[in-house]
Amino acid sequence: MILQSETPLPDTLSNLLGLDGFGVAGEFVAAFIAAFIVGNVMLAMTGVAGPWAKRKITAKFTDRIAANRIGPAGLGTIPADAVRLLAKELIVPEGADRPAWDVAPLIVAGSAMLGFAVIPMGSGIQLADPEVGLAYVFAVASIASLGMVMAGYASNNKYSMLGALRAVAQNLAYEIPLVITGISVVLFTGSLRLSEIVAAQQETLISLGGVAIPSWFAFVNPFAFVLFLTANVAEVGRNPFDIPEAPTEIVAGFQTEYSSVYFVLLYLGEFLHIFLGGAITAVLFLGGAAGPGPESIGFLWFVVKIWAFFLLTQWLRSAAPRLRIDQLIEIGWKGMLELSFLNLILTALIVGVVV
Amino acid sequence: MSSLEEGEQTPEIEAGETELEALLDDLIVDRDDHENAPAFVIRPDTVQETLGRLKEEAGYDHLSLVTAEEYPDRYESIYHLKKFDDPTDEVSIVVPTDAENPVSESAKPVFRTADWHEREAYDLIGIDYDDHPDLRRILLPETWQGHPMGRDYDQNRPQMVPLRDHANPLEDDHRADSDSDTMFVNIGPHHPATHGVLHLKTTLDGEQVVDVEPDIGYLHRNEEQMAQQSTYRYQIMPYPDRWDYISAGLLNEWAYARAAEDLADIEVPEYAQIIRTMGAELCRIAAHMLAVGTFALDIYGDFTAIFMYAIRDREKAQNILEDLTGQRLMFNYFRLGGVVWDLPEPREEFFEKVRTFVDEIPEALEEYHDLITGNEILQMRTVGTGVLPEDVAKNYGATGPVARGSGIDYDIRRDDPYGYYDELDWEVPVEDGCDNFSRLLVRMREVEESAKIIEQCVDLLEDWPEEERNIQANVPRTLRPDDDTEIYRTVEGAKGELGVYIRSDGTEKPGRFKIRSPCFSNLQTLPEMSNGEYIPDMIAALGSLDIVLGEVDR
Repeated sequence: MILQSETPLPDTLSNLLGLDGFGVAGEFVAAFIAAFIVGNVMLAMTGVAGPWAKRKITAKFTDRIAANRIGPAGLGTIPADAVRLLAKELIVPEGADRPAWDVAPLIVAGSAMLGFAVIPMGSGIQLADPEVGLAYVFAVASIASLGMVMAGYASNNKYSMLGALRAVAQNLAYEIPLVITGISVVLFTGSLRLSEIVAAQQETLISLGGVAIPSWFAFVNPFAFVLFLTANVAEVGRNPFDIPEAPTEIVAGFQTEYSSVYFVLLYLGEFLHIFLGGAITAVLFLGGAAGPGPESIGFLWFVVKIWAFFLLTQWLRSAAPRLRIDQLIEIGWKGMLELSFLNLILTALIVGVVV
Repeated sequence: MSSLEEGEQTPEIEAGETELEALLDDLIVDRDDHENAPAFVIRPDTVQETLGRLKEEAGYDHLSLVTAEEYPDRYESIYHLKKFDDPTDEVSIVVPTDAENPVSESAKPVFRTADWHEREAYDLIGIDYDDHPDLRRILLPETWQGHPMGRDYDQNRPQMVPLRDHANPLEDDHRADSDSDTMFVNIGPHHPATHGVLHLKTTLDGEQVVDVEPDIGYLHRNEEQMAQQSTYRYQIMPYPDRWDYISAGLLNEWAYARAAEDLADIEVPEYAQIIRTMGAELCRIAAHMLAVGTFALDIYGDFTAIFMYAIRDREKAQNILEDLTGQRLMFNYFRLGGVVWDLPEPREEFFEKVRTFVDEIPEALEEYHDLITGNEILQMRTVGTGVLPEDVAKNYGATGPVARGSGIDYDIRRDDPYGYYDELDWEVPVEDGCDNFSRLLVRMREVEESAKIIEQCVDLLEDWPEEERNIQANVPRTLRPDDDTEIYRTVEGAKGELGVYIRSDGTEKPGRFKIRSPCFSNLQTLPEMSNGEYIPDMIAALGSLDIVLGEVDR
């Protein structure tokens, strides 16, 4: 079983590169390099996911082949698509609210990147491990709603406006159950620090015929896991909750008017949010980077877990119909909220009485 | 077969005719009988009263079609009435109007469906329907000069429309008052869910649809005029394929074939009728597969498994149709008096292919039911949304799966039999939920019934003695039906009652060729279904109507 590496990645780097002696400047450089590495790993994953994996997965679900022209298994389509998208004309709609319209894609993509700063990804990859890690992740991830509203409002397009309003309504309705279900995990661990949440899941819950089942919170409290997963899918705006985009209703919602680089940013931002959602799920419920094998391959397990979440979103995309906005709000406020509070109270009782 | 039945029905109709004459005694000016129905000539200011009496007292509750035409001395509107209970019981009301001042009373207060039909007559012919609340052009742009099917229309005159008269339609965005709570949105003509070039002028109150007005005509080609410029024998047949082009080609061809054959008294050999029946049902399966797939697409929102599954199964039907007709989309397989060629050789292989396809249908549908109708979210989305009550559906002249989803037990194949349908064992699926879900279910059940029909056709064709494989009746090289005979015949197309009205003028080309498009009438019901509902429900309702713009606009 793997325990978390004690030192965050910047400190490791700082030691490795001998930046200790340079004081704050050295810390800054080390942090920058570490952030650069993490950011690029995540962007590379979205780069694979967006133009290639998404198509391949959907193709498997729908009896098709998808990208297979360039490179092995069509992987060469990734750089080709990148060049294509970046080379397109950036069309600015008439009457767009300029600074807001330009900043919105950055906020959507950036907010997700910020979230990865505190995620313990195993193999010693964690940029920072603040005491309020969990609160921080939820806080920065929800900044994305702001970006969507800005994008929708600034586009001067009615479809975009509707999409933006839907995004706000949806995120409000699902953020609360999401956070409250997250808190039920915190009741077990007694800490918001993500590394401690992961560490609390390393003990063996039960041993079945020699196979040790770890005390991942998905096994300890499956009810909370399902609730969290559902709220999380809604939070990242995937089917059946892709209501802010809803191509067949409001075309593409808040991103209708975006093209070229801005579109790429929004698109990347969405995928980053899926992966961040997967990362939070992995940390809270799936034992973080834990898995069979030596501690050093923890990062691989972590990647497997967030890709599993990505696969789930793509599976839903192929199989689940979209809810209507009023049904979504109803499920959020009348169903998920109550259930998450129920879960919180029950967990509190169990933790208080039993543990 | 058809002649036999007509023989049986003749006394009945005559008995009915006297009653009708008594009912409309004070209104009838003259008689002008059509091949398919008695026709009464009335004065243009008594349209509402006549139609009202026929609807309320004689039970003619289905205004199937409004045909208009300009003659040298007059304009004429013909209202083709039927009964939903018995579509063979028909009557036509002929309303001649003055050539100088063609004003005729509107039938809209009696039959809601007359709204668009009369707008079309105004647009293309130029008849002015008095007290019609919204008499605007419907197929052509509002700035169009002249009425293209009128006699004095000059086709060579260019349509010079200054920009100021044809302003950007998007400018209308600001039509509402600035302090209004509603928002105007143009959905289409380029929108992922409009299935073609349909433009919905939608007024929204938040997420709710306050009003929606379909704007059609983007695909208008005036197929009627094209048919009028072509000869009966060969030149018209390729056109029907282009009405409902969603692989329903043979069904459309049959609409023309039925009207023209009955007009010219052509008896189609039984063997050809079976081939026609089989081909038509293959087309129906292909069309319904696409309808189910795209409906799911509208609800699901992305390219999903169900869409691809539906397309996969549609592909099998298409392959068989390709073997049969040599074409995948524009079949041009029917000929007046039969079909163009016999089944492909080797026959055993073809039958085997069809049988495999038909046998796989129940299994495929099971998969669909698992994926869509059994899905709880889909049920949440479709049950009780897009409601079209039975009486409203009748008033709008809705037919086909749309009517059958509203509990109207109406299918031309059974109620006014043609082809080989009345010899076969099948059922008409009817659902009385009146909502999107019912329409979906009706289509899926119809696929099953079509499969049954095809199977029986294959059985018959397999055992057909080789020397009696007669695919084509004797038809004169040039058809010249008698002068001034008129006929209106309908068939059950994929989308509903597809009809063709032909008036012959003694030449080898029709004097007037009028198409009754089921989609045209069905699309009219959209505001009824979606006003007050949410945008997604309007999209779902539109998907459940299964319109093809090629047929709406013709």
